[in-house]
Amino acid sequence: MIQLSIDGREISVPEGTMVVDAAAKLGIEIPVYCYHQALGPLGACRICLVEIEKMPKLQTACTTAVREGMVVHTGGPAVEKGRQGILEFLLINHPLDCPVCDKGGECFLQDYSFWYGSGKNRFEESKIQRQKDYPVSDYILLDQERCVLCQRCIRFLGEYVGEEQLMLEGRGVHTVVSTVEGQPAHSPYAGNVIDLCPVGALLSEPYHFKARPWNIEREETVCSVCPVGCASLVTGRDGHPVRLEGRPQPDLDDYGFLCDHGRFTYDFVNHPARLEQAFLDGKPASASAAVAAVGERLARVVEKSGGGAVAVLTGAVHTVEEEWALAQFARESIGTSRLAVLKPVAGDLPLPLLGTYADLAAATGVLLLGADPYEAVPVMHLKLRAARRAHPVAVWGLGDRVLTRSTLPGEDFVAEPGQVAARLGVVLGGEALDGRWAELRRGLLETERLVVLWDGADPAAAALLAALAGQRGERPTAVLPTHGPRNWLGAVRAGISAEHAAAARILEDAAEGRLEALILLAADPLRDFPDGDLAARALERVPAVYFAGWFAPEPRHALSAMLPTAAWAEVTGTYANMEGRLQVAHGAAAAPGQARPVRSLVTALARAMGHPLRLPDFDPFQDQDGDRIARPAKQPAESAGAPARPALPPGEWRVLTGDMVAVSHPPSEIAERTREPLPLRLHPHDADELGLGAPGGLIEVAQGERRFVAGARRDARIPAGRVFIPRGLADVPANRLDHGAGVKIALADPVREEVAAP
Amino acid sequence: MSNQQWPAEWRAWAEEVQATFPNATSSLMPFLHRVRSQQGWLTPEALDAAAELLGMTRQHVDSVVSFYTLFRTEPTGARTIHVCRGLSCMMAGADTLMENLEHHLGIAEGQTTSDGAVTLLEAECLAACDLAPACQVNLVYRGPVAPDAFRELLEMPVEEPPALARRAEQSGAQGAKGVADRE
Repeated sequence: MIQLSIDGREISVPEGTMVVDAAAKLGIEIPVYCYHQALGPLGACRICLVEIEKMPKLQTACTTAVREGMVVHTGGPAVEKGRQGILEFLLINHPLDCPVCDKGGECFLQDYSFWYGSGKNRFEESKIQRQKDYPVSDYILLDQERCVLCQRCIRFLGEYVGEEQLMLEGRGVHTVVSTVEGQPAHSPYAGNVIDLCPVGALLSEPYHFKARPWNIEREETVCSVCPVGCASLVTGRDGHPVRLEGRPQPDLDDYGFLCDHGRFTYDFVNHPARLEQAFLDGKPASASAAVAAVGERLARVVEKSGGGAVAVLTGAVHTVEEEWALAQFARESIGTSRLAVLKPVAGDLPLPLLGTYADLAAATGVLLLGADPYEAVPVMHLKLRAARRAHPVAVWGLGDRVLTRSTLPGEDFVAEPGQVAARLGVVLGGEALDGRWAELRRGLLETERLVVLWDGADPAAAALLAALAGQRGERPTAVLPTHGPRNWLGAVRAGISAEHAAAARILEDAAEGRLEALILLAADPLRDFPDGDLAARALERVPAVYFAGWFAPEPRHALSAMLPTAAWAEVTGTYANMEGRLQVAHGAAAAPGQARPVRSLVTALARAMGHPLRLPDFDPFQDQDGDRIARPAKQPAESAGAPARPALPPGEWRVLTGDMVAVSHPPSEIAERTREPLPLRLHPHDADELGLGAPGGLIEVAQGERRFVAGARRDARIPAGRVFIPRGLADVPANRLDHGAGVKIALADPVREEVAAP
Repeated sequence: MSNQQWPAEWRAWAEEVQATFPNATSSLMPFLHRVRSQQGWLTPEALDAAAELLGMTRQHVDSVVSFYTLFRTEPTGARTIHVCRGLSCMMAGADTLMENLEHHLGIAEGQTTSDGAVTLLEAECLAACDLAPACQVNLVYRGPVAPDAFRELLEMPVEEPPALARRAEQSGAQGAKGVADRE
C-alpha cells in the first residue's frame, strides 16, 4: 500500500493506482475525458491536470501512478489556469451548439467549462466545419465538430470489446473519429459509446431530439431483456420510456455496459402488438367487466371441481413482488398447488451451485456448456473478456456447435447433437479419453476457480454439474444459467417452482383433460415450452385459458380472456438476475390503456371470485444472504449419462437450437432496423451444396408433414450436417420439431411461398 | 485471405521489417514506404496485407495511413509533382508555378491526369528555401523552378515506381478516380 496526501487528506491505496482513482476514493472529483477505469490510462485530453509537489509542471492525474509520500493538490490557481487553458484548446473548433445538442445538460464539456472555462473565446478565426449527425451505426450518430478526440469510443470497441470498428483518421485539427473502411459499426456493444462519450459527439439516433434533461424522469432500473439483468437508467418522457442507459455500480465492479439488444428495445412497452385492452371470449371488454367475468368463471370451476382443476403458469417476466402476488392468489384464492414457471429449456440448475458475477471475474477457467454468451447473454461475453484482461482465464466450449469465437478464444469440443451432457459424463468418468478430451478433463478438474455458463438445454447435465463440483472437492465451482425467462430466479424467490417437471406436469394434465382452466401470466407455452407439441395439445384440450400479460400468445382464439398487465418501467419492484441477485427497478412511465399491475389484477380477480385476497407484506430480500436469493446447501451427487441417439438416414439434418437474444427480445420498432433476416445457421459447405447464396437465403425446413420457411446464414461455427434454429423463432418453431429425428432442408421456392401467403 | 495470396516480395519485406523492428507497430511505416515506392500509392489490398502480415488490425493501419500525407490511398500518377507552398517558395512565385502547371495539365491541385501520367500536389514546407520555388518530382528535389519553366518538371527524367510504369504501358487512359467512394 502506498501512502499519499491529496488536498491535505491522507489516503493509502494499492501500488499502481492512478492519482485520479486515489482522489475518487476520497470523494475528490478530478475532471476527465479520456480516462475510464475499464480502459486504463491514456493521457490524451489533459483536462485532469493536478499539481504534485516537487514536480516542476502540472501532471495528468490519470497517467500518474501514486508514489510514497506524494503530495497532490487538485485545485488552486495553477491547476485552474492549466485546466482553463486546456478547455480553451478543446473549444477552438467546438461549435458551441449546446441549445440544440442532445447531451446539453448531461455533458462534461459543459460542466467543466462552467467550472474551469474562461467564458470568453480569444480565437476569432472561423471554426473548422465537419460532419454533423453522421451515422456510424444503425443506432449511433456522430457529430465530429463536438468531438474532443478522447478516444474512449475507439478504445472501448477496439480493446474492451475486441471489434475494431472505429478509428481516428487524419492529423492535427483535421483528426476525426470515423469508421473503418467507411463501413458502419455493427458490434452489438457499439451503443455503449453513447454513454462513454463525455461530450455531445456520439448520440443515440432513437433518442435524437426527443427530450431535454429538464423534461425527463431518469430512474434506476434493470434491463428486462435477458437474465443478465444489467443495471441501467430508464428515461421517461410524458409517460413513455424514450431511452435506456447503462448504470455503473462501483461497489460491484460493474461499469454499466449494456448490449444493443437491451439498450434499444425499451420501446416494446409501447409496441403496437402490446396488449392494452382487455378481451373476453375474443371481444373487447372493459378491464373490470373482463376481470369480473373471469373471476366468476374461476369461482364456478373451483366450486364444482376444486382448486386443483385450475393451473397457473408464469412466464416470469414480472417483478418478484408480482410473481409472489400471483402465487398467493393461486394458493389462497384458487386453492391450487399447480403453479410453475414456464422455461424454454428442460434443464434444472441445482441451486447450491448457483454462482455470481464476482465468481466469473475471479475465475481461472470457464466452461461454456452449450451456451454461446455472445448471442444469448451478450454482456456475459463482455464480463468474460474483462476477466481475461485482468488475469489468464482458460475457456473451454462444450456444445453441439462451436462456442468460442475470435474475441473469446478458447478450446472447442463439439459433441454430437443431444450428446453434450453424455460427453461431459464421459469426460468426468475419465476412462479411455484421448488427448484433447483428457486435457479438458484435467483442465476442468484442476483449474483453481471454475465457472460454468450453462444453457440449461440438456437436463442430464444438471447431475453432472453437481458431480463435477464434487470431483473438484475444495476448489470452488460455480454455475451461471444463461437461459430465460428473465426473472425465473425471482419467481423461485416468490415460492414458484421453476422445475421443468412441474410445468410439464401441468401441461400433461391439461392435455389429458384433467384441468378445467389454465391461467397464463405472460407465459407462451406454444412458443417457449421445449415440447411444443405437448403445449399445443394442452391448449387445445383445456376448456378455458386465461391470459394476463404484455403480448398475447398465438393463437388468440384459444384464449378465453386476455387481461393487460403493467410492464417493466411501469411498476417499481425487484427482479432477480442469473446470479440470483435481487435488484430494485423503478418505474418511469405510465402503463398504457387498461394495463394494471399484477397485484391489482389478482386482488380484483379474488374479489370477483368472492374470496377477497389479503396480501400481507412481502420483502424479497433475505437478510442472511444479502441481496442474493437464499440457496440450499451443497449436496453430493452421482454422475449420470445420457442416452445415445440413433443414426440418421442419409440426406437428413440434425436440428440444433440455442438462445439468441436478437430473436428472443420483446418486439421493438427501434430494433427492427437490426432484425436478423437470416436467423437460421448452416455450415458454409452445406450452404454451397444447397446452392445457398452469400451471406444466405431462404430455406425450407421439413419434418414429416411440417414445413417451415426462414432465412439461413452461412456460419462456420455450425458443424456440417446440422441446422441451427434459435429458440422462440416464430417462423420455424424449434420446439415443434423432433430433435431426435432428422429434418429435410431445401432451398425455398420463393414463388410458391408468395402464393401460399394469405 | 491467407498469407500465401500476397505477392512474394511483400511477404519478404514484412519478414525483413519485423526482424529489424521487434515492436509490431514500429514495423508498419517502413513496410508501407516500400509498398508505396513500388506502386506509387497504397491500394486497399496493400493495407489489408500490412494488417495481416504485420499482425495488427486494419483499423490501426488506416489510422496511421490517414495521418501521413505521403501515404496516398487514391490512384496516383507515374510522375508525382509536389510544389512547395512554404513562405519562401510562395514569395518566389510558387503559386504562379502551380497555376501554370494546373493550366497546362488541365487538372487542379490534388488531381491526376486522365491518362494516369501526372499527379499534382502541394506540399507544406519542403525545407529547401535555398531552392525556392522548390519542387519534388517523385520525391527528387528540383529547384529553383521559375514559374514559366514548369515544363522541366514534366520533362525531367525520373525513376518511376515499377508497378506504375507497367500500368502506364498497359492502358494510358485510366482517368482520375477522384475521391474514393465513402458510405
